[in-house]
Formats: sequence, structure tokens, C-alpha cells
Amino acid sequence: MNAVLLDNVCKSFGRLHAVDNLSARISMGSVYGFLGPNGAGKTTTIRMIMNIIRPDSGRIEILADGNIEQVKARIGYMPEERGLYRKMTARKVLAYFGAIKGVNDRQLAQRVPHWLRRVELADWADKKVEELSRGMHQKLQFAVTVINDPELVILDEPFSGLDPLNQDLLKDIILEMRNEGKTIIFSTHVMHEAEKLCDFILLINKGKLILDDTLENVRSRQSAHTVSVELEGDTAFVENLPMVTAVKSDGNRLDVSLTDADTQQFLQALMQRARVRAFEVKVPSLHEIFVNLVAPSGVPWRASDAEDS
Amino acid sequence: MQRILKIAQREYIETAKTKTFIIGLLMTPVIIGAIIFFSSRFSGSKAGPRPPIKVAVTDLSKQLVEDLDTSFDNYNENNPNRKLLLEHLEVKRDSNEIQTRGRDKLRNGQADVYIVLDRDILRGPGKIHFYTHKPKPTNVDAFWTIENLFRKVVENRRYKIEQIDQELLAKLRNVPIERVEIGSTDDQEQVQTQIHGIVKMMVPFFFMYMIFMGMVGTGQQMLGSIIEEKGSRIIEVLLSAVSPFQLMAGKILGLAGIGLTVIALWFAAAYAAVRWQDLNVDVSIELLLYFVVYYILGFLFFSATLTGIGSVCNTIKETQSLMMPVMLIFIIPLIAWPMLVQSPDGTMARVLSFIPPVTPMVMVLRLTAGANVLFVEIAASILLLVLAVLAVTWAAAKIFRTGILMYGKKPGLFEILRWLRQS
Repeated sequence: MNAVLLDNVCKSFGRLHAVDNLSARISMGSVYGFLGPNGAGKTTTIRMIMNIIRPDSGRIEILADGNIEQVKARIGYMPEERGLYRKMTARKVLAYFGAIKGVNDRQLAQRVPHWLRRVELADWADKKVEELSRGMHQKLQFAVTVINDPELVILDEPFSGLDPLNQDLLKDIILEMRNEGKTIIFSTHVMHEAEKLCDFILLINKGKLILDDTLENVRSRQSAHTVSVELEGDTAFVENLPMVTAVKSDGNRLDVSLTDADTQQFLQALMQRARVRAFEVKVPSLHEIFVNLVAPSGVPWRASDAEDS
Repeated sequence: MQRILKIAQREYIETAKTKTFIIGLLMTPVIIGAIIFFSSRFSGSKAGPRPPIKVAVTDLSKQLVEDLDTSFDNYNENNPNRKLLLEHLEVKRDSNEIQTRGRDKLRNGQADVYIVLDRDILRGPGKIHFYTHKPKPTNVDAFWTIENLFRKVVENRRYKIEQIDQELLAKLRNVPIERVEIGSTDDQEQVQTQIHGIVKMMVPFFFMYMIFMGMVGTGQQMLGSIIEEKGSRIIEVLLSAVSPFQLMAGKILGLAGIGLTVIALWFAAAYAAVRWQDLNVDVSIELLLYFVVYYILGFLFFSATLTGIGSVCNTIKETQSLMMPVMLIFIIPLIAWPMLVQSPDGTMARVLSFIPPVTPMVMVLRLTAGANVLFVEIAASILLLVLAVLAVTWAAAKIFRTGILMYGKKPGLFEILRWLRQS
């Protein structure tokens, strides 16, 4: 079953195409990283999935239902623009949002204290929201998001405003939920977070989907192209090998870019001509992949686009 | 529905806890009651001491000097700390000269009042001339007293001259009237005092004012609550759980509850006051029923309007410019109240009954004022009101849905009209 299905979805704000003919399929039981630079259309897409704004054209299905109002109780959504009633206590806020998401009183009596403990706010349960620090506020907001034990969790920039300790706490909870079979979609532009969490990557730029694959595939496809080697003796021949497209020398080490060829063939070719002291297939970080894909010509992306409008 | 009720419940509880609610809506009847209670207790001894007032007088008729002295002495004896000092400016030959002296006395502060009695004051159309110069506002009260003392002196002397028996005259002039309102059975007869007339005017006003307050008072709470949710960015979190319509419905329902609570408390206070003063106020169950129906419809109309307004604004200040024209309409019946009570079947009352925003106030006023309202008129006004409520709710829901997520600039009228056309 699809958790979310986007079918040729478009949304414009004035002349800006915030989301441009986007199609994607998010299946159940995995963690999806929804990546893209600022203004790529991430928040707009998420808001359309949540029916906060409506697409100009295209079709959206969520939990196999065309009408999101029917399934809201099964979804947990943490928007980018988020806040809580400042005059209510943490416990009451949590119980209230649970109640309007359809959680009954008996379940709430058990879940509210559970989640307050889980996000380490048990000692603050009876403090008013306005007395909490920004990080605590954020954790409470997360607890609000998942209080209804949702099958599908959508988090828009969940890590912003959290210190490293709390980021780890949140990651642990997300992985726990994945193990329980839930589907998690989160948007971010901080790549190392995505790297540790995602099964799948959805990368969009300027409203268009430019990458939709598992993290492993993305990595291996990119990684095959760069190898770092250390040879004994003259290294000039490397440049002339057929599978080599570019060589960058860094002291004894060479960073070699390859065509689609197998790295093992390249290794063989090297061994025939010189002694190989070190050979490393470079696994590029998601960060590098991101920069490669989004700004191939070295042009910085426009930082202020659709998302703020 | 479950969720709408949850939203309504929170709205009710959180509003009931705010200071504006407790002070503004609940305490007002208590405060009004206290003011009435204390002012009635102290009104008996309201006259405090004041410095003596100097009265200069020129009696051109030359016949009232002694009478005036006696009258003022009497007064001073009874009011030892509020004396009036009388000084006669004698007329010798030139009356103009003496009058100039009197005016000078006023101007240099030797007298507070200068009075001239015409020569033919007793037997002709002469006047009492009452001169003041830059009078102190605190003395205005005393001026009335002085006027009355003079008038009394002249009057009494005139009776004597015409040889009229004053006691007889008073007896002849006294024709008592007893107003009796008979009830549906004979044992319900009620003797009316003057206060009953006032009560008869005030009861319709009270009913109308209850509707006004129940709508407008809680309306402020509605705006505050929407602006809070918008300002604290709670809206999107809420909309992840409920639809915009559920949110709006919950809010309206919760605040309708607040309105009914306040009205119930006011009615209880009014009922206590009526019992305490032993007044006869006749309010039928039927009337109360109409009241509730009109209140709820009126409230729905008003609060739907406010959700629309609240959703396009970011601060309370921004809402004020949009609230102005709305409030102007709702104030019409408050201003036109005396006219409406006096002719509850007049053209104005009839026309206002069919202008949806003010229908509830005007209809309740007419029904309590004992107008001859046809049932057809009631039914038609309710029908029209229901249609108006549906139309406003439809428009407000559309504006709410879009406006609630807009931050920053307030949208223009043209843009709002565009939202209405969107599906």
C-alpha cells in the first residue's frame, strides 16, 4: 500500500512554480528523507499532502484515501510553522491535541505520561508552555505530533532548534517508530541527519523531483565514479587509462574520476603497471551528492523562494 | 462532532479563565448592582457642606425685603453649613446707578449672584432677573435653590394680595390617580407606581441589551482566540487534526456557550433585583424561547463574521479597522431604542426586523415591548436570519480556510473576493 501518492501535482504562487508536475510514491514502513535546498518546494508539497493548501492540478492520495479528512486521525504532522497554546500546561496541551485527534480518555491517561517521559519533559508536565525553553517546546511539539500513535508521520524540519543531544533523542524515536512499522517522512536541508535515518531519498529542486531512490542506490551510483589511490613510482600513466576521465593529485595520493567502468577493472589496470599501496572507493557523503545534483554548475541556489510565501 | 465538542470545550474553559471575561462580563452586573445599591443609600444625605454664597438683591417693588429676609433666615437655620448670605442694595433715586453697582459687585467677586426684582413683580408681568458672572460649576445646585426661594416669596405674596387660601388651593389641585394593570385572572391585579412605567421601558431594553452583549462581548473573545492561534502558529498544528470547518464550528460553539452563561448570570441577577424590589415583570416562557432562538442565530451571524475578519488579520489592532463598520450596524438598535419601544409596530421597527444583523435585537425588543407581532413576521424574520447565517458562514469558512494560513500582509478586498470564488 502507498502511504502517499502524488500524481502530477502542480502549485504556483503568482508566477513562481513552487511545485512543478511532481509525481512520487511513498510506500509504507520506511523512512523517507525529503530533501532539497531552501525554496525547493518541500514545505509546499507537504502542505498539499496535508490539505493545508490545495494543488492547482494533479491528484494526491494519502493512506490510500483521496480525502485526507477521513484519515487525519492516522497521521501525525509537525508543520514547519508550529506553536502551542502558551497559557496551557504541557500536560494539558498534549491531552487536548490527543483528544481532537480522536484519542479516547482511557488511552490518553496512559499515553500522555508516556510521551512526556519519552521526550524527557516529565518534570515539566505542569509548567505552562510559555515557561518552556525552545528545545523543550520543540520536543513537546513532537510529542503532540505522535500522541495519536499515527501510521504515517510527516515532520517538516524536525531538527531545527534542537541541540545535538535532543537531535539524537529524536533520531532514536524516529528509528524506533520505523521498527514498529510506521512510515516517516521528514524534510530537511541538513544532510548528515538524513544520512543516518533515511531508507529512501526524495530530492527536489525548483519544484521538480530530481532523485527518488534508496539511500544505498544513490550512494553506490555516485560512489563508483571516484577512487582514491596511492601508487609507488611514476604515476603519469594513470591519466592515459581508458576508463579515467580526470585525475587530481594530492601529494602521493590521486583522486581519480572514472567513467562507468567497474572499479575492479581499474584496479587490475593499475596493478599491471605499478605497485598499489592504497586503493579506496570513495563513498561520497549525501552532502556532496546533494551539492553535485543541486548546483552542478557551481551556481548557488536561490535561497528565498516558494517556502516562505 | 466529537472533535468539534472538544474544541468547543477548550474554547469555553480557556475563555472563562481570562481576565476580560471575569471582569468584563461577569463582574459588570455585580458592579452595576453595587453602584445602584450604594447610591440609593447615600442619596438621602448627599448635601455636604459648601462655602456660603453671597447673594445681592435689588427689590425695585420695595415690598419684599422683609419676606426675603425671613425666607433666607429660615433656609440658613435649616442648612447651617450651606449658608446663603443676602445683601440688599437699596434703591434711592436712580435705579440704573444701583444696578451698575450690583453688576460691579459680581465682577469683582463681592457677590456670586445678583438679583433684580422688577417694580411690577407683584401685580404685573414683571420678572426676577438673575445675574451671574463666571459662575462656579459647583454653585449651579445652589442657584436652583436661590431661584426657588425667590419664586416662593413672590408667589406667596401674590396669593396674599389676591386673597387666595393656599391650603384650599393645594387641596383643589390634588387629584390622585391609581394605575392598575389587571392580570388574566382577577387576583393578579397590580397597583402601578411610577417605577412600573420605567420598568416597562427598561425590560425590553434589558432583553435587547442581553442579545447585544452576548454577541459583541463574546465576539472580542473570538477575535482574541483566532489571533492567538495565528500569532503562535498553532493553526497548522490544529489543521493537522481537524478540518478548518470543524475548527471554526468548535470555536463558535464554545463561545456561544460563554455567551449563554453570561446571559444566564445576568438574567439571574436581574431576577434577583426584580424580586428584591418587588416589581411585577411579566415574562412568558414563549418569549424566553424566542429570545434563545434569536440569540443563537444572531450569535452565529456575528461570530461567523468575526472568524472571517479574525482570520485575515495578524494583530488585534488590525482587526479594529474591519470591526468598525460591523459595529456601526449593531449599534443602530441601541441608538434607536427609545423610538422602537414607543412604537414597536412602527415602520422603522418593522424594517429593522428584516435586516439580518439586527433582526435578533429588534425582534426581541418588539416582542418584549408588547408589539402586535404577527406570527408570520416572526417566522419570516427567522427564516431570513437562517439564510443570512448560512450565507455568512459559507463566506466566512472560505475566507477562514485561506486567511488563517496567511501571515504578513493583510489581504485586500479584491483578493478576499477571489478566495470566495475558489472551490
